[in-house]
Amino acid sequence: MKKLSILLLGLFLVPSVFAADLVKAKSEGQVNFYANITAIQPIVEEYSSSQGIKGIYTRISTSKYLATILTEHAAGKLQADVLQAPLPVMKILKDKGVLVAYKSPSATGYPDWAQQDDTIVQFGIEYVAMIYNKEMVKPEDVPTRYEDLTDPKWFDKIVMPDPSLHATTITWLVGLKENKIFPSDEAWLKFVKGLAANRPMFVKSFGPTPAPVESGEKHLAISMPKYIITKAPAPLDWARVDTLLGSPRGIAISAKAPHPNAARHFMDYWLTRDAMKMLADKVGEYVLAPGVFPPIDGISDVKVLPIRELSDEEIHSWGNEFKKIFYGK
Amino acid sequence: MFKKPSLTFSLILIVGFLTVCPVLMLLFGSFSEGLTSFGSFTLDKYIEGYTDPILREVLLNTIIFTVGSALVATTLALFLAYVNTRTNLPFKFLFSIISIIPMMIPHILFSVSWVLLLNPSNGILNRFLMQMFGLDGAFFNIYTLPGMILVEGLLDLPIAYLIIAPAMRAFDVTLEESSKVCGASVLRTLFRVTLPVLRPAILAAAILVVVRSLASFAVPSVVGMPGRIYVLSTYIYRSISSGFAADFGKAAAIGMSALVASIALIYVYRYLTSERGKFVTVSSRGFKPTLLDLKQYKFPVFLIVGLLCFVLIVLPVLVLFYTSMLPYSMVPSARAFAMMSWNNWIDVLKDPISLLSIRNSLTLGVVGATLGVVLSIFVSYVIVKVRSKASGILESLSFLSFSFPGIVIGVGFMWFFVQTPLYGTIWALLIGYIATYLPYGVRPISSAFVQIHDHLEESSRICGASTFYTMRRIVIPLLVPGIVSGWILMATMFVRELSLSVVLSRPGSEVLAVQILHFAEDGLWGKLSALGIMMIFLSSTLVVAATLIGKKLTRMEVVDT
Repeated sequence: MKKLSILLLGLFLVPSVFAADLVKAKSEGQVNFYANITAIQPIVEEYSSSQGIKGIYTRISTSKYLATILTEHAAGKLQADVLQAPLPVMKILKDKGVLVAYKSPSATGYPDWAQQDDTIVQFGIEYVAMIYNKEMVKPEDVPTRYEDLTDPKWFDKIVMPDPSLHATTITWLVGLKENKIFPSDEAWLKFVKGLAANRPMFVKSFGPTPAPVESGEKHLAISMPKYIITKAPAPLDWARVDTLLGSPRGIAISAKAPHPNAARHFMDYWLTRDAMKMLADKVGEYVLAPGVFPPIDGISDVKVLPIRELSDEEIHSWGNEFKKIFYGK
Repeated sequence: MFKKPSLTFSLILIVGFLTVCPVLMLLFGSFSEGLTSFGSFTLDKYIEGYTDPILREVLLNTIIFTVGSALVATTLALFLAYVNTRTNLPFKFLFSIISIIPMMIPHILFSVSWVLLLNPSNGILNRFLMQMFGLDGAFFNIYTLPGMILVEGLLDLPIAYLIIAPAMRAFDVTLEESSKVCGASVLRTLFRVTLPVLRPAILAAAILVVVRSLASFAVPSVVGMPGRIYVLSTYIYRSISSGFAADFGKAAAIGMSALVASIALIYVYRYLTSERGKFVTVSSRGFKPTLLDLKQYKFPVFLIVGLLCFVLIVLPVLVLFYTSMLPYSMVPSARAFAMMSWNNWIDVLKDPISLLSIRNSLTLGVVGATLGVVLSIFVSYVIVKVRSKASGILESLSFLSFSFPGIVIGVGFMWFFVQTPLYGTIWALLIGYIATYLPYGVRPISSAFVQIHDHLEESSRICGASTFYTMRRIVIPLLVPGIVSGWILMATMFVRELSLSVVLSRPGSEVLAVQILHFAEDGLWGKLSALGIMMIFLSSTLVVAATLIGKKLTRMEVVDT
């Protein structure tokens, strides 16, 4: 009955959530989508086939995202109609005048904090969790609290992005403190130092974290639960804790979009329940469309909170602090 | 031969335009506030970059890493080039191809293969050795400086091999015979005659490897970072990655030290090879390279070369193949073998973007290498035969883009091309590739030029031949081994190029390395390995075709003694 209600609601809502004019959008022929989010080709293809407007997906890694967009923007050659990136990056783009205000009706029902900005809509959270190899970690050893990672039994068995340079990991560690996941700042610092004492192996980002866990080189990773979907049938699971934290992902329209109607239409489509469900089902993303969860056991029950976005100055400063703790320098 | 000053000037203009523009943009960026190439003047990026207390340790690591890699690559290349070109070792053709296979593998994949083999927790080779010798702990730890040097040395082996082998092939054996007639032993002849005569090629190879390893990012990030060992390229990565707003101007400021080091190395090379008459082995006196009969050592040498090639090159490729057949990363076991399938291969072959990227990379490899080699022939001629101050400038210019760490130079090209109508097209990739990797064509062809005596051209001219006739009938045929090496180096590089492609490639101009990077970022190691092996197959086909065409074209007569 619940599923039927959602289906009926979906059927009722979908035609009405498009504010953009489909005829004008179709006359523009195509829409260019610049994004750092991975594996979204199926959604773009579905958009092209169902809406009759060619979606072109340009994937740009986070480290080169701002450099590319700002260079193209300054030269008047930004081809993007719609842009997607972590929220702090989107805010920089907004400050530089790259984005234009647009309130998509498809965001109705999203949390208030996700749509309070007149330009950027937050549609998902890049959620971070402890993922582990089910064949290497006994059920009784699986962490149930973040503090469990400081147990010496995890010495040389953890892999994580370098906490002195990976912005999302730095933000996550600071988020654990600011969101009072630990009873006090002292307890948080003890956790950070305990984690460092277990000498985790560092990689440059979340992307390379699952491979050493799958192969058994390491037993546990500070990583993203979405890999349980994208790496299936690898024996991965996530450690159930009360709260997960992550950086919000944002989407917005380019101020000088070559296809402005198609841009609005695409953004309306992107924020629909159907598109967000595809993102959750196929890529394992945590999305903010109401009632949509990735098909990972237990994820719908956990509290997932957005972390306050840190400025680059704060990231540098905290990165240096973590360098002292993790590198002993 | 040509009107030398005008040729030199024209080449300085062409090469300068190709290589100076992106470097100039980076230079502007390094002195500009903000994140783009043009902003208010500031020295802050240099001050921040060069006053970091960790820099001293980073520079020391960098020196050990680059010099160590050059030693490994050059020594192995010398040995393999000698047995492959100067002896009657069986299956030489196969060993020649194996020696350059690392050139065809995406560096990130080769590095990951070695991690799977030699990581201290469950590396396949380590587990094998532990079981065999009953050891408690791992025998090797790849996450160390020696581990980094081994992998980088192997990855750069083809560069050294493709520069040394043509010189070795063109070596006039009468020089060695004269030494032996005078009573010198084999070793004395090797150290007093063979190696000194090959000095330009050996130095060229070593310098190119130093410069390349200075710019290398895959090995320092995959092998070095987990071991917490930082070299210049990963230090630059650190400086731009701790934050969302990556400051490539600051990265360029730090990268300038790599540029200065590379240019200094080129001048050292020119100084050490300044008496070029010493290195001429192909003169008008009659030239006949010969093969050394290994006699009773044939089988032992075959075993040594075979084992070296298997462990150092074939085994990592087998690990790639194994990974491509698995649904996820697993150490070898009965269960792993039971789960093997062709699914990753089928997925890749059904993926339209992967297929488009194969087509684009193949086109760029063939067309780019051909154009690059033509330009390299003229540049090499000026560098070796004209040898004026202007030719020294030309040589430095040819190294300019190449010397910059890969993660920075791509942005330099983006800053440059965005000012032109070529931005976002496949032509930007083609021009960027040739400009950056010109030394891959210039170095082997220069080494071959060094060995050709001026008398040959003069004789042709005296007989009434025109400049182009002399070039076509005398010089080019003698240069064929160098040209083939240059073409192979360029073509295989272009097929797997990432640094420029990752910022210049756009929908429609996707290339293999970028598609591989996307698979890596998604952690899809099976598909990544499958596409990587397709890339190796593609490059191997180009290498075999180029080698066969080269053999057909060359007029050299090789006889057994």
